[in-house]
Amino acid sequence: MISDRLKSSLKREFDQSLMAKLGLSIALVIILVATFAPILATHHPGQTGHFDEEGSSYPPIGFDYQTHAWEDGDDGRERIPHTVQPTSEHVLGTNNLGQDVYSRMLFGARTSLLVGLIGTGLAAAFGVPFGLVAGYFGGRTDDSMMRVADIMLAFPSLVLAIALIGVFGRSVQYIPDPIVMAGFAEGMPEYAVLPGTVTLVVALVNWVWFARVARGEALAIRNEEYVKAARSLGASNWTVLRKHVLPNSLTPIIVLATIQVAAIILLESSLSYLGFSGTTLSWGYEISQGQDYLRTAWWISTIPGVAIVLAVISINLLGDWLRDALDPNIEGEGGV
Amino acid sequence: MSLAKFLIKRTLQGIFVVWGVVTITFGLRAIAPGDPVDLIVDPATSPEIRQQVREEMGLDQPLLIQYIEYLQGILVGDLGFSYQSRRDVTTMVIERVPATLELAIAATIVAIVIAIPLGVISATRRHEPSDYGATMFSLVGISTPNFWLGIMLILVLSVQFGLFPVSERPVGFVEAVTVLVTTGYFNDLITWFRHMTLPALTLGTYFTALITRLTRSGMVDELGKPYVTATEAKGLPSVLIRYKHVLRNTMIPIITVLGLQLGTLIGGAVITEWVFDWPGLGTRLINALYAGDWPVIQGVLIFIGIGFVVINIVVDSLYAYLNPRVVDE
Repeated sequence: MISDRLKSSLKREFDQSLMAKLGLSIALVIILVATFAPILATHHPGQTGHFDEEGSSYPPIGFDYQTHAWEDGDDGRERIPHTVQPTSEHVLGTNNLGQDVYSRMLFGARTSLLVGLIGTGLAAAFGVPFGLVAGYFGGRTDDSMMRVADIMLAFPSLVLAIALIGVFGRSVQYIPDPIVMAGFAEGMPEYAVLPGTVTLVVALVNWVWFARVARGEALAIRNEEYVKAARSLGASNWTVLRKHVLPNSLTPIIVLATIQVAAIILLESSLSYLGFSGTTLSWGYEISQGQDYLRTAWWISTIPGVAIVLAVISINLLGDWLRDALDPNIEGEGGV
Repeated sequence: MSLAKFLIKRTLQGIFVVWGVVTITFGLRAIAPGDPVDLIVDPATSPEIRQQVREEMGLDQPLLIQYIEYLQGILVGDLGFSYQSRRDVTTMVIERVPATLELAIAATIVAIVIAIPLGVISATRRHEPSDYGATMFSLVGISTPNFWLGIMLILVLSVQFGLFPVSERPVGFVEAVTVLVTTGYFNDLITWFRHMTLPALTLGTYFTALITRLTRSGMVDELGKPYVTATEAKGLPSVLIRYKHVLRNTMIPIITVLGLQLGTLIGGAVITEWVFDWPGLGTRLINALYAGDWPVIQGVLIFIGIGFVVINIVVDSLYAYLNPRVVDE
């Protein structure tokens, strides 16, 4: 599908853009980390109770913090100042339940990427055909189909998503982890967790963007000479849609899909922050856990947020690169 | 097509969308799991009393009858009663509107005030450090989840430096201004401002970043056009050219995109309210969802849907008025 001209355009933009290189590097690191989480992790992500001798959470390496401990004194139990030192055992510290933050970040990357990629795929699989049919046939078909899309757009995506989860409930799917099954990572979870409802819901909420873009493309393409030629040669609507309209509208759809992965990762983190996800192995959920401990354990909320920002930035940079390379009419914004 | 005809067409479409929103939210409640009677009375009460409650709430009727009655109620502004508190849903929704509206407006003001000068500076000093700074800021801004940003603002500005309160909204803007006007007492307005700052920054950052991006790219396009060279050749001061002519032409696409992003603003307000325990529609919605209180969920969703449709019609009409070619398309 990708022509040589497109390949060279992609390469030229990539060579010129520092931002594209940065985006691709971060994205690759996150993909690798998510894939090999069981090997890279130092602890089982669900294992609790990693506290110091006074029962305090460990801070990340390079930080210590003041808290209080209790000791038996002359007048019963006494409150004494206590400094918590980091340990090389837990490089990013431990959370309020005494779970290893570093290991949880690795497994959280899996949740974000799985929901982001599968959610985008489902949204495109539904939205693109919908939009292409509406745009290609036009007229009444287009009108009535786009009214359905209007209704979807009248709900803010986060609001519609939480309402749908309210209906469907929270569910998770367990996917066997080949790395652990093959015995490469002793003592790690044997299943990767996919929050099924969330994945479905983000697709149900975001398909309409694919429908809009695909429709716009189909509207333009249906009047092109080559479509008219194909039809006068007797090609059926189905053939024209599949062989001419779809391939020629792919460019903006690919750019949109990239941006959608980032949008869906943000949406997933919001949903799991609000507790609607069904899995606790998620960056957003971890942020909500830390919110009650900001006075002492600042890192519990801070670190997963940094992970989300890095992931989303890298995907947005890749989206900018694709857009600049595939669509020469749009002036680049990243521009570095 | 005349402007009046265009308006009528858009309004009819809007009514259709509102009907769709009402129907979908009703459908969601119909398929939601759980028996609402359990929320109203103790699950251990006798079946007779449960049946009585069911009849009082009209829940024993066939779905179609319930739907028609619900539609009739909406026409007169009646959204039914909360399962949980038995309060009137219309009141429960309306009383939360000012807090959300204040938050959304404050965030929009933050965004416009920061973003437009930033975008202009960025576009007129391309490939200089200030441009790179603005570009980096907008990239990070659109990539940061706003609930996390809110928590980080609390961590640094409230917990570490104690500059702003952590949460809640002790006084509304209208009350604070009323107090100021009637008694000359400033403190309420200051309290309002201190509580509003962090939520408004939290919600406004994404839009600041987005508008900075749009302003920059729009300005870059416009600055390359012949009329700019012409006005420069005429000797007009560059400040005048930038802010009067170029920026005005850049604003049209910005307004369009902002109209499309209204949903993001409302969705962002919902989660921002949750972070700051802000008594708006968002906290009402999420609490109702945790409780399974569907009349309240429906009420908030329908209200948001109507607001969205109305604002879109207003934006479209403004747009059609400014740019009559839209009407013909």
